[in-house]
Formats: sequence, C-alpha cells, structure tokens
Amino acid sequence: MYALLLALSSLAVAAVPGGDAAAAPAPPPAAVAEPATPPPAGPVEQATAAPAAPSDEEPHGYVVEKIVLRGLQKARSAAVRRHLRVRAGDVLDDREVLLSRLRLLQLGWFSQVEARVERGSARGLVVLVFEVVERNTIIVTDLVLGTTDPQPLYGGLGLAEQNFLGRGFALGGAFVYGGAPLGRPADPDRFALRGSFFAPDLPIRGLGRLVAGAGAWALRGEELACARPGCDPFAEDFSRAPRVRYRRTGGELTLGLRTSAFDRVLASWRADRVSAVAVGASSLPDFAPPPIHFGDSWASALVVSWEHDSRNDFFLPRDGLRLAAQVTFASRLLGSDYEFSRYLLQGESAFALLGLPLRLQLQVGAVQGDAPFFDRFYAADLSYFAVGPALGRALELNFSTDSRYDAFAAMGGLEWAVPLRIHGRFLQRAYLAIGARAVWSSAWLGGGRTAFSSFPLSADLALRFDTPIGAFNASLGYALDNLL
Amino acid sequence: MTPARPPGRLALAATLAALCAAPAARAEAGPIPVALARRDGHVVAAVDLTAVLPGELPSRLGNGLRNVVALYVAVVPIGGEEPTAAFVRVFDVLFDVWEETWTVTVRDPRTPGGRRHVLRSVDALRALLARVDEADLGPAGSLPPSRFTVDVRIDVNPISPELLAATREYLAGAAGGRGASRSVLGAVAGFLLREPEEREQSLVFRSRPLSPDAVPPR
Repeated sequence: MYALLLALSSLAVAAVPGGDAAAAPAPPPAAVAEPATPPPAGPVEQATAAPAAPSDEEPHGYVVEKIVLRGLQKARSAAVRRHLRVRAGDVLDDREVLLSRLRLLQLGWFSQVEARVERGSARGLVVLVFEVVERNTIIVTDLVLGTTDPQPLYGGLGLAEQNFLGRGFALGGAFVYGGAPLGRPADPDRFALRGSFFAPDLPIRGLGRLVAGAGAWALRGEELACARPGCDPFAEDFSRAPRVRYRRTGGELTLGLRTSAFDRVLASWRADRVSAVAVGASSLPDFAPPPIHFGDSWASALVVSWEHDSRNDFFLPRDGLRLAAQVTFASRLLGSDYEFSRYLLQGESAFALLGLPLRLQLQVGAVQGDAPFFDRFYAADLSYFAVGPALGRALELNFSTDSRYDAFAAMGGLEWAVPLRIHGRFLQRAYLAIGARAVWSSAWLGGGRTAFSSFPLSADLALRFDTPIGAFNASLGYALDNLL
Repeated sequence: MTPARPPGRLALAATLAALCAAPAARAEAGPIPVALARRDGHVVAAVDLTAVLPGELPSRLGNGLRNVVALYVAVVPIGGEEPTAAFVRVFDVLFDVWEETWTVTVRDPRTPGGRRHVLRSVDALRALLARVDEADLGPAGSLPPSRFTVDVRIDVNPISPELLAATREYLAGAAGGRGASRSVLGAVAGFLLREPEEREQSLVFRSRPLSPDAVPPR
C-alpha cells in the first residue's frame, strides 16, 4: 500500500505546474461572472463593467428546426436529450442553450461540450448542434489493501460504470479477499463480493422521476469471539482464538422518488440468508460472540431513506449540504428471524473558513432489539484511526480481533481542505485534508460500554486526488491505524 | 453566450476583485505593445493585441450564439500580484448564421450603454477585439511608485456560480450504502455531482516593465 501511496505522491509532484506565475494578473476562476467579493480599497474610482450572467438581450428570432448531437459514442442520444432545456420548435434562446451545455457537462459523461448554430432548411430556421467528447465513466470505487495481526494481508477492488448502457445507469461490483485465517490453512477462505445496479433518474410518465436499484452480496467471514477486544490470551497464536464463522448471501431491491432536484426518498427491501457456527474454543468461559443466531437464519428488513445532497462538488465541496435519514425495520412480519429497528442520521455541511473549504460531519445511529452484528455499528468504521485493536472493516469483513458491535454510535468531525495546485491529465485536482473526529458508542442503548478505544478522538492528514478513474484518499490516519 | 449588463458603479471593485481573487495565471506570449499617456490627470493606455490574439478566437465566437468577451487591462506592480488600477471592456458578440454578419456591442466606462458594430468579416472582428485605445486606468496618482507591467486578461464566456447552481442536480448512485470500506487508498464515492470541467477560458498578456515617469503628459 505504501508503494501505491508513493506512486501517487510522485505523480502528484510531477503534475504540479511549474513556471513563473506569480506576477501575472490573476484570472478569475472559470466560473466567475459577478464577483461577490466586496470592493477592495484602491486608488481608482472610475466605473467599469464586469461581465454578467445571461441575459435578457434581444432574441435572435430564429426557430430551432432540430437539435443534433455529435460525438456520441456510448451515451444514448435519448438519454442525453432528456437533459437539454431546448426543444426543436423553440425560439433560439442563448441562456437555455448555455444551461443545457452546463447540464451536460455536470452529468460527468463528457469532458467537453460545445454548442453552435448552423443554418436550417429555410431562412429563419437554425440547427442547434451540440458537439461532445465522451469521458471515461468507469471508476474505482474501492481499493483495499490492509494488514492486521491475525491477517497479515488482505485486499480488494471495486469498480463502477457510471453510464451503463449509455443511459446514465450505474453498475458496480467489488470484492475483498482475505484467504484462510492465519495458522488455519484448512479453513475456508474469507471473501466479500458485492454487485449493484442503480438508476438514479428514471422519468416515468404520470409518476414523475423515479429511482430504482438492486444489489446482491455474498460474504464468508469470521469474527473473533474473545471477551477482550485484543484477544490477548491468544496473542501468540490467533489460530487458537474462539471465533464465529459465518456466511451471508443476500440481496436488496430499491424503489424511490425524486422529490426535488436535490432530494429523493427511497424504500428498499433487503434479505440476508445467514449461516453461523462457533469454531474453536467455544466452550471456554470467555467465549463472547458478536450478536448472531447460530445455525441458519434470515434477516429481512424494510429500509426507508431520505437523502438530500446540494453540495456543489462531491470532491471538494465549498457549498451545500448533505443530509440523510434512514430507518430499518426487521420483523417476523417480513420473514425475518431477527426483530429489530435501526435509525441513522447523517449530515455533512460544506462551507468555507478563511477561504478554504471546511466540512462539518455528523452521524448518529441507534439500534433497538435483536439486530445481528452486521446491522449494528462498528465504531472503528467511523473514526480515522482507533487506538486499540479495532480496524475499519472492508466490505463489512472484519479482519481485526475486535468484534464489539454497538447499539448506539455518534460521530462528529471537522475536515479542512487545502487545495493543491495540481491540474494534470490524470491527477486533475488534489487537496490536503486535515481532519479531526470524535466517536462515541455504547454496546446497548442507554448504557455504557467498554470504551471503543482508550482515546475516542482521531485525526487525519490525507491527500485526496481526483482522477478520471475516481477519487483517491491517501490517508495517514489509516496507515497509523495499522500501527496502533 | 453570456451577454454583459451595462457597466455600473460596481466598477473597478468587480474588476479588481476578479483580478485578485483567483489563482495566478501565466502570460500567454511575449511583451505586448502598450502606450501610456496622461490626460486630465488620468492615465490612459493604448494596447495592441494584434500579434498575440489567438487565431482561433474570432472563429470560436462564430458559433451563432451570443458570446461575451471580457477584456481587463490592469496595472500590476512588479513583484506584486494585486493590480492597482484597472479598466474593463466587454464585447457582446453574435454571429448571424443567415446574414453572415457579426453584431458586436462594446461596453466600457465611456459607453456603458454600449456601442453597436455590425461587421462583415472575421478580420474586422479580430481588429475590433485586438485594439484598446484610451483605456482609462484611473488617476495618475494611483500608479505604483515602482516599476510595473500593464497586464491584459481576456475571459471568454465567463460563467457565474449562479448559473452552475441552476443546472445542478443530485444524480449520484445509492448513497450511504452498506459495506463501504476504508483503506489507505479508498475511493470516495460519487461521480455525477461535480463541477463541470471547462476548457481554459482566460488568456493573459503582459507588457514589458514600465516605470511611472515613463508616462508622458498628452
């Protein structure tokens, strides 16, 4: 993992533009028209003009005879036209053409979109042409490489096609592989596989704009079942530690409604077939398995979510808010062997402090009832690093010795971003993230617990890169997590 | 495509704010010819961009849609980044695909309502864009005491954050999904919710270093 880190770092250095830039007049950012900055004090008092937003200038008077899309390779014409704000038969409106062009750029399917007008078949008619250059839409969603005491090496990869079939659908898949546990070569390999399909915007006549999705997963994993998080009595040989071996196979169907440009409400049904057995020293008095039904069981749940995301950029947001609320309800009514409910609130606001982007992150979650461990909260997932044996999971596989899953978890964090001057073809943008988080969790509602760690605060210094194949996070906090 | 509004009192404020707020850019070519003069206590500049204006710029403006070209002329002290005086002229350019004419409205502090030109060739458009005479850079006292350059920046179709916000939508995949993993190289989910990648729309040109006593009275 350090080799990859180094490789990215050197690429970053190579991509830093050189040259003397200091003395040139600073151009405004690409998206500036009406500066909001207050007037600086200066000796000049004359009135000058600033370019402004469009526009109520006199119209051309031309009618759009047809709209032509050039340069499409994978994207379907109908999927692209759906996002245009101009139709054949409209009077040519520059502002609507510009907004259409921006909209296409924001879809992320194209690296370039140009609009122009050509003569139509008769005087007064024009052909509106959009010329596009498609961009890569396959991105890396997960890149996992880790090590723990009981698992010297594990890794995985996730990929997603963000414009599947050229219709704006998302198709993704990921895996993590850990092999057989250390010292137990005859045991089954541990792995997690996950696949998903998502249609974020399906216009259905009479119903509005819908959201639909489906996912499936298969996991084979183990949770060490020691009374102490570090499994200290077995530190010399973790192969003798008690454990719970489990398999999960499941799927999820989602249907939702886009209630506004930035909001959607989703309803999902999720079913998990679970098989769990106790292995090793299960008869020992300190056998402490995480919550699970031994033998075969079903976890079946309805999940209702509301999401709002108005951030102006997923990579380096300077404005906007992301909010999510989710309720999970599992019951025998749905064929579940587990009776529980789960509540989750997440929030992230993006704004600027001293001119630099600052993110405030909050999360609080609670579980009531007989929830399996994988529907509870693993505190290390919420922190940058954990002082202690816990380590954030990979596709829900836990390779640490700590199998404490909690009924309540809360996290608050701040992350400050310092943009780096990188504008390469591969490393398109980058910033240095400086973050701090506090995590509180408890094993049962209203109760205390053994501390998630002796030090529930964590911090991070990370380099984040935006590339054509996804955004990457080179995190010192994670590296530290492997050492602590 | 983004026509300018008539100049207002925001004036230099907007210009200087735009000039100061953004990251520095590199000059596009060698020194441009600039002539400074003093008139009625003000410094006026004449700038000729004929030799440096990109050849494809006028034809880029012939897309049949309304285009805005904002041209800034600024006095920048050597070693400093912030201009001490500035002038801005905005061209509103519209090529009529049927008439094959260029209608250009030029707005600057002297003609805030705009001067309208109807041009019949790219060469005429190029000539109009390339010459700036009588650019009022403000009171002579505003010139920096030390050496400075006269810098010219051209923005083509600048886009406001408000416009970007008007077209933004939340179209990402399933958020908050289960099984997200954390790793030293973990990808951050999300793709569609992003600022568009725009081609570089700014050009910067610079004069040779000048000194305040090189500004003759006219």
